[in-house]
Amino acid sequence: MTPADRLLLRAVRAAGWWTPALLVVTLAGVAAELALPAVLGRAVDAAVGSAPTSGPYGWLPVVAGLVAVIVVTGALRDYGTGVAAARSTASLRHLLVRHVFALDPRRAARHPVGELVGRLVGQVADAGQAAPTAVLAVTATVPPLGSLVALTLIDPWLGLTFVAGLVILGVLLRTFVADASAAVAGYQQAQGLLAGRLVEALAGARTIAAAGTADREVDRILAPVDALREHGARTWSVLARAAARGAVVSPLLQLAVVAVGGLALAAGRLTPGELLAAVQYAALGAGLGTVVSTLNKLVRARAGCRRATDVLGEPVRRYGTRALPAGPGELRLCGVTVRSDDGRPLLDRVDLHVPGGALLAVVGPSGSGKSLLAAVAGRLRDPDEGEVRLDGVPLPELTHTALHTAVGYGFERPVLVGATVREAVGHGRDPVPTARAAAIHDFVERLPVRYDTELADVAMSGGERQRLGLARAMRADRLLILDDALSSLDTVTAYRVGQALTAAADRRTRVVVGYRVPTAAAADLVVWLDGGRVRAVGPHLLLWADPAYRAVFRS
Amino acid sequence: MTTVGAVVRAALRGRRAALWRLAGWSVAESLPAAAAGLLTARAVDDGFLAGRPLAGLLWLALLGGAVLVGAYGTARAYALLGDVVEPFRDELLHRVVAAAVGQATAAGGRADDAVVARLTHQVELVRDTWAGLLMVIRGFLFAAGAALIGLVSLAAPVALVVAVPVLAGLGLFVVALPAMVARQRQYVLADERLGRVAVTAVSGHRDVVASGARDRTADWVGEQVDAQARVERRLATMAATRALSLAVGGWLPVLAVLLSARWLVEQGLGPGAVLGALIYVVRGVQPALHTLVQGVAAGGLRFAVTLDRLLRTSAHLDAVHERPVATVTAPRASTATPALSLRGVTFRYGPCAAPVLDGFDLDVPDGDHLAIVGASGIGKSTLANLVAGILHPQAGRVHLGGLPVAGASPAELARRRVLIPQEAYVFTAPVRDNLAYLRPDVPQEVLERAVARLGLGGLVRRLGGYDATLRPADLSAGERQQVALLRAWLSPARLVILDEATCHLDPPTEARLERAFAERPGTLVVIAHRVSSALRARRVLLLDGASALLDDHEGLLERSATYRELVGYWTDGPERVRSSPTPVRSGRRPDGSAHPSWP
Repeated sequence: MTPADRLLLRAVRAAGWWTPALLVVTLAGVAAELALPAVLGRAVDAAVGSAPTSGPYGWLPVVAGLVAVIVVTGALRDYGTGVAAARSTASLRHLLVRHVFALDPRRAARHPVGELVGRLVGQVADAGQAAPTAVLAVTATVPPLGSLVALTLIDPWLGLTFVAGLVILGVLLRTFVADASAAVAGYQQAQGLLAGRLVEALAGARTIAAAGTADREVDRILAPVDALREHGARTWSVLARAAARGAVVSPLLQLAVVAVGGLALAAGRLTPGELLAAVQYAALGAGLGTVVSTLNKLVRARAGCRRATDVLGEPVRRYGTRALPAGPGELRLCGVTVRSDDGRPLLDRVDLHVPGGALLAVVGPSGSGKSLLAAVAGRLRDPDEGEVRLDGVPLPELTHTALHTAVGYGFERPVLVGATVREAVGHGRDPVPTARAAAIHDFVERLPVRYDTELADVAMSGGERQRLGLARAMRADRLLILDDALSSLDTVTAYRVGQALTAAADRRTRVVVGYRVPTAAAADLVVWLDGGRVRAVGPHLLLWADPAYRAVFRS
Repeated sequence: MTTVGAVVRAALRGRRAALWRLAGWSVAESLPAAAAGLLTARAVDDGFLAGRPLAGLLWLALLGGAVLVGAYGTARAYALLGDVVEPFRDELLHRVVAAAVGQATAAGGRADDAVVARLTHQVELVRDTWAGLLMVIRGFLFAAGAALIGLVSLAAPVALVVAVPVLAGLGLFVVALPAMVARQRQYVLADERLGRVAVTAVSGHRDVVASGARDRTADWVGEQVDAQARVERRLATMAATRALSLAVGGWLPVLAVLLSARWLVEQGLGPGAVLGALIYVVRGVQPALHTLVQGVAAGGLRFAVTLDRLLRTSAHLDAVHERPVATVTAPRASTATPALSLRGVTFRYGPCAAPVLDGFDLDVPDGDHLAIVGASGIGKSTLANLVAGILHPQAGRVHLGGLPVAGASPAELARRRVLIPQEAYVFTAPVRDNLAYLRPDVPQEVLERAVARLGLGGLVRRLGGYDATLRPADLSAGERQQVALLRAWLSPARLVILDEATCHLDPPTEARLERAFAERPGTLVVIAHRVSSALRARRVLLLDGASALLDDHEGLLERSATYRELVGYWTDGPERVRSSPTPVRSGRRPDGSAHPSWP
């Protein structure tokens, strides 16, 4: 059993008792549907007096009862289908969401955002149809096959006619099977062309706005519409042929059954009521075509599960069981190596010791591994070789809570996540103290409902976003890692934030990646990286004597 | 705002001829539905039961003929559907594209990421559901109508007995329709909200993990998942309404005919007639009603909701275009008028956001060459947009060549200044169209001279000449910028603003092109990406958040530590941050002033 099939089963189970209920309801409905033509036939015979019965209306309550069963089971089936799908879908989505956020950021980054969201929102909805589709797959063949049996029971010739008619018509109309793929491909191509032009124009919106050529651009983007219309007309004519085919098969099949039934009627082997029943069975039997669409649904549900298992198959990031002992925040990197996907070392056997409470500046030319060092130092990423210890404890041995209470990250381009500013900055804690430290409190105070303003409604510049991200990171109590997290701040703000960061009162260990001289100058210790290796470690003033070190700040 | 109803009515009115033809073929399509009961009744009563099986078969053959005619009608009707649906789709496309371009290019507007999805997915959804809706409603009207006509010709009172419950069922469905649309809309909104939250959360995956917010974020997305599931369950309860409509409209007539069967026989009608009447009901009216109810409940509701969303999102455009455009007085350009002048300009992105520029003054004389420098995110591009009239300040005035920017039409502005942004715009079209974008009527020899002057001959040859189709993917970022720069060079405007427009060029090419622009008659404002740009300029404007300084390169080196830091010159060795705070401005006028005593 593949993981996709296991997930499909899980989705079916998630629908709870709705799955067996749906099965019972569907089967009851199908049974009533199959019984009704026969009973209706009897009722007609009774009414027109072509059969000896208890009375002209004796069959009427039975007909009414069957109709009631069909109506009620139909409503229950529709409702149950919706509810079962909603439950399965929600269950799969919860599973997927938990898993995605338990992944290592590096693994998650391998899936583009749109693709992950597509799986979560779109494809999981297909997979969520698992329960109703499974019930349908079990029951779909019952009405057509039951009809065939009923036809044969009424008169064997009717069953034979039905099967023969189905085969003959199928063969005859085979030639009419039109291939829509060419027209659809052309249509999609024109559509893609149009979308492509729109994307081009939107990317150049500033040029277009400045040039005042918006109207011209609209005409240019819409130029492929003529081709679109041409291919569109072709798709409709292909559809027309398919529709005509449908309009011929079922009625002609019924007609053949009526003809053979009529002959049996003339021969006295059939009553008018039975003829009516035969017509209806022929119509029910022609529904054999829907079996194919059921299979199609099953394939889609399974495909949705497979897309979800692609993500669910990724191993989650493991945390340890240890808490952090009391300590100054001493950071130690031993033989840390990080490799690129093709095996090239990006950080090469880095050894580094940062005393507790120190401010470490990481400098080096772009591509020297500064951000990677920052990522490894706080377990944003696990090194491929080597070990990182915080106050003596290897980072992977810490619990989730212990690690994230101790370590905070500020990024160059932070992404704020949460419904409100309060949530995005505080993640459940009071955001005000850290927002003050990051010099962003005043900004938040000017928002419509301050910290409770919805994040989506906040218009902010890159610098303001950066400071909110910084405020989020500042709640860390032992190790603060800032990866170019002050780059968008103007000098004055950077000075204010810098003062908060470099204040003697701050006992936290701080790792700051940056290319500005003041950052390095204010640090207790500078680690100078070059090509993934540590070139030198020492105070800024000592290193400054080296012209190669000075050149780092000139690029 | 345009409503769904108005748009649909307009779409139908505009396609009257096509709709009449559609109706004509629908009549042909409904021929078997009208004849089925009647001909079957004849075949049974006058044929099989009368001991003339051959006559019965002949009647049925007639019905077979009707089926073939009907199938032909179906084919023609579907083929005609294109004439009704395709123009409607084209109108929607035009609406969406015009709105997207309008929003992206409007003052303070930005490109909407969802627009491509709207263009492809939503418009297609509306097209398909519109076609489906047309077919379903048309199918019901003609099939049910044909069955009733057949019933009338078979037994008029029975037709009445059948018609009343059908209409009642239909009425029930119509009454419930608004509630169904409302639930469908909630469903779509819940879906969109889930999508938005998921995009935010997943985009911030690194941040979520780094700040230990794994569980809280999963809960946040989970809340949307549950909300969506609740709405989906509510939507499912509409199944009851559909079932009731079908029970009344589709099944009551069956019982009614059965009840009246004895009466029919007493009226002298044969068993075949009863059979025929039931065939009209169970094979005509009932499936037609079923298709209608299911079709409208599925595709029809999605049509209404999706079209409504499309119309809402493309409605902003009207508001933007209705901005009053003031008439512009004739230019009174003289040598004394500065090419560019800003007075007391204040701009902020949100009503509560901190201002990017606050009471900002600047004068750039005609023929000047100004470089603007500053840290990223400090507001250089905002300033360029304000000067170009793409953004409008909340306070203060911007003048180009003595004329106010506010109220000038885009075309008028384009004649006075040209702005080339960092993201060079090239598009799939002939090379010539790309180069002559800002001056479409440029003579070929002028174009060729400009290409030679800026050294783009090699690029044009590589692309296959002026008439070859340019494909943006074939050009490097630097080549795109060269195309954009040539455009600006050809533009009739006197003021050229280059907003990091040379950032992807190698330094020698950048120097060559910038020098060429400096020699072009008129004024040049360069938002500098490299220090070298500032070195080449006559004057440099330094933006530093709270303050702005205007001087030449040497002067700024002397006056501003920030400038020294930006330039990378550190003549006085390492310096501590806390020892060199940049002077904070106190009044409305920036410290050092961006409005010094220049002519």
